[in-house]
Amino acid sequence: MRAVSNLKVKSIARTSLIRTLIFTALILLIGAQFDAYNQAQLAVVLILFIGVLSITLLTGISGQLSLGQGALMAVGGYSTALLITNYTLSLWVAVPLSIISSAIAGLLLGVAAARLRGPYLAGTTLVIALAIPTIANRFMSVFKGDEGLQVDVGYPPQWFSTVFGEPTYEQWQLYVALPFAGVALFFASNILLSRTGRMWRSIRDNESAASLAGVNFSRQKIYVFILSSTFAGLSGALYGLRGLVGPSVYPVSLSLLLLTAAVLGGIRSITGAFIGTVIVVFLPDWIELILGNFELSEQVSNFLPALISSLLLILTVVINPAGVAGARLHKHK
Amino acid sequence: MNTFLAALSLGTSRGAIFALVALGLVIVWRGAGIVNFAQMGQAMFSTYIASTLITNGYSYWLAFFAALLSGAVLGALLDIFIMRPLSNKKQSELLSSESMRAAVPVIASLGILGALQALAGIIWAAEERGFPSPAKQEGFTVAGTVLPFTSFDVFVVSIVTVALILTTLFFTKTGIGLAMRATALNQEVAKLSGIRTNRTRTISWAISGAASSLAGLLITPTSNLSPNTLDLVLIVGFTAAVVGGLDSPVGAVLGGFILGMVISFVTFYDTPEDVFLAILAVLLAVLIIRPRGILGSKDARRV
Repeated sequence: MRAVSNLKVKSIARTSLIRTLIFTALILLIGAQFDAYNQAQLAVVLILFIGVLSITLLTGISGQLSLGQGALMAVGGYSTALLITNYTLSLWVAVPLSIISSAIAGLLLGVAAARLRGPYLAGTTLVIALAIPTIANRFMSVFKGDEGLQVDVGYPPQWFSTVFGEPTYEQWQLYVALPFAGVALFFASNILLSRTGRMWRSIRDNESAASLAGVNFSRQKIYVFILSSTFAGLSGALYGLRGLVGPSVYPVSLSLLLLTAAVLGGIRSITGAFIGTVIVVFLPDWIELILGNFELSEQVSNFLPALISSLLLILTVVINPAGVAGARLHKHK
Repeated sequence: MNTFLAALSLGTSRGAIFALVALGLVIVWRGAGIVNFAQMGQAMFSTYIASTLITNGYSYWLAFFAALLSGAVLGALLDIFIMRPLSNKKQSELLSSESMRAAVPVIASLGILGALQALAGIIWAAEERGFPSPAKQEGFTVAGTVLPFTSFDVFVVSIVTVALILTTLFFTKTGIGLAMRATALNQEVAKLSGIRTNRTRTISWAISGAASSLAGLLITPTSNLSPNTLDLVLIVGFTAAVVGGLDSPVGAVLGGFILGMVISFVTFYDTPEDVFLAILAVLLAVLIIRPRGILGSKDARRV
């Protein structure tokens, strides 16, 4: 990554645009081969990929560990659901608007987090991940408590069906998630390649050195949090559009799932974020594929994916902390 | 007045348990420089072992000591097989930055937590089950009125007091305890004076494992046992440790009782739903006003 980071602004944008177009084409190509179930799974991959990118930016690039991304996703999800149900906005308006609220949440979190480091930040964000969803039960009339708010991606507009043919519900889920994932990828790639990305990496590597080089690291940390929160909020908004926005949709385990994906794939790379997301989303299916012939009790099959992804996480940090996509990073070192 | 007494007694007995959890976190932080987010996963695991022994007809006290022992063994094994290799890997490229050196052990401990919870689900199923208490959970009756203090509360407070005294004696009177304090103070100097720091690290994991298992045994009679019931206890314990000062054992105990009181009074005078927001408020207030905690030393926030 570092070798290309001296590029001019225009060519950075061009590189990111090419990446995004290749990504979009690949997803469309693969999505067309899949059956309905796997198309829905692929849509989940795209949605969570945005969330994992929020961790890549925050932890991988700027070195701040947050366990509360699930809470920020909940902010995005609830904002979207409230905009759609109360103001009957289309999701194409509601989702971008809801990003504003998650950015504000990120600003508040960032102001607090800029003073914290390491385990303090991790623990505090974990408490936030637990505390925020309980607000849903505190203000029953607005957030409808444990029951949650029902929203979905609805149906495609008339012109879409006339031009591209009538998509199935699963295909439509995929088509809704894809443009957002593409935009997120474009922005993340741009930032990683640009001066801002270099600045954030310098904070991660050595705060004092960054400060001597003229980087105001407290302010930059807040910026990272705001950006990371918009990614998490966007991911959470789309995640809720799968049918329900409620406390059970954004549990603490969701935050940990995103972190697992980011670390498994390679916490410093966008490719790694995507690989990691594919692993955690499809792992249960792969396990069933391999062990399908054995008669496993429900008790075992329910917990096996969590056990294996946790063990993979431990093995990754102990053996190869750079993750699956890490080899490429070593080359550029 | 009765509500006040009830809140006070619940706060005391819960506070004693949170003090143990916070103490476990502080011991590992001092010994290894890691906040162990897997701690209550370890406690959950050994409480399940105790529960299995009890359902198979063994006595409560046998199960009790078996759980403490398995908690200590599990803690030591996790350090030897996961955390020690990790701390010897500091040369690798990803770990070269200070911020990632702090983040990676946290990620590893979350992996351990996830693995232990999934394993417990596979072995013992995810349904909640009860856990017996050796003492009655009904209030004492004096002159016809039922007091809010139960004999189980007395049991909890006295067991925790014994545990705290034993830990203090261990750290101040035994050679290993002194070696551990020296390691906590300065690892390099301790190493140079001939202390086997790897061993003191493992012992701090073992003690912390036993302490948190004790907390697990004491809290499950009032809250039931399932693979992730103790997550919330970890959050409270972490907050208690930060409130008291992450590197201060006395602070951990103090923080535990403060959190016990806060939670108990919010439960009685407000609603239980506000408990998490109250914990978050306490945590943020401490981090903003006095980040090193009430009794923490100035350089406690080493990362």
